[in-house]
Amino acid sequence: MKKALLALFSLLLFSCSPKITTSFETTAKALTIEDKVAFLDLHHAVPEGAKKIGNAHFQDSGFSTDCDFNSNLIKARKIAREKGANIIKVTEKKTPDLWSSCYRIKVDFYFSEKDVTKIPQYQLQIN
Amino acid sequence: MKKTVLIATLSLSLLISSCATIISGSKQKVNFRSNPAAASIFIDEVEVGKTPFEIKLERKKEHHVMIKLDGYQTYETNLTKKFNAWYIGNILFGGLIGIIIDPITGAIYNLSPDEVNAEMSKGTAFKVNKSDVYIAVALNIDPNWKKVGQLEKLN
Repeated sequence: MKKALLALFSLLLFSCSPKITTSFETTAKALTIEDKVAFLDLHHAVPEGAKKIGNAHFQDSGFSTDCDFNSNLIKARKIAREKGANIIKVTEKKTPDLWSSCYRIKVDFYFSEKDVTKIPQYQLQIN
Repeated sequence: MKKTVLIATLSLSLLISSCATIISGSKQKVNFRSNPAAASIFIDEVEVGKTPFEIKLERKKEHHVMIKLDGYQTYETNLTKKFNAWYIGNILFGGLIGIIIDPITGAIYNLSPDEVNAEMSKGTAFKVNKSDVYIAVALNIDPNWKKVGQLEKLN
């Protein structure tokens, strides 16, 4: 009983992040915090010449709590910087429903030589 | 008498369920001060205001904070999640609902600043009390900027 409670407690404490699956065909030089990363929602177009370098899938681990749309994008941006991508394009988006309180999204990572601050994009919200 | 005790016990159990959520809430107040003032504050790379500034941030998320001012070195810190002791109230008083609710609302955590760049620690102060976080930063002059003059006080 004690072990079960301890396991439940640990799960609740540490399992609040969504399950993230990534796949990268290639990686570029990691970006710095000063390098801007653009978020493209479903309706935003990827600029011409951008090179796709990978993708990621954000799912509900079953105990995920920090899994709203903005949180997922912030996590995606961290991955993008590590892999050298400066564009995150949302390709699939499932809003929270009866089965999950999480946003479940699929994103593609791109690198573009252009200034990504100039392209139409999703603006991240705080809170 | 027995009824009173029963009602009191039931009310107490209801009150103390979700201990941390009730006591601390799902958001935490974070205050920013800087010297000089009017520095831009970026939370997770979104500009939210200029110092002095106060904002309520979700406890269940970690936040990256940058304080920027032209001519000064950018100050960076991370607000990380630390265990909120009010959560133990659920275990001590048997608030079983709270054991589930507090992690969902994020009240199980307290936000606490961690220095990203130790070199910038001079003149920086953090204070974390029961519910609020205070971050006071003395911004260092950017060494890449060249001093070209000095304003003089008129008599």
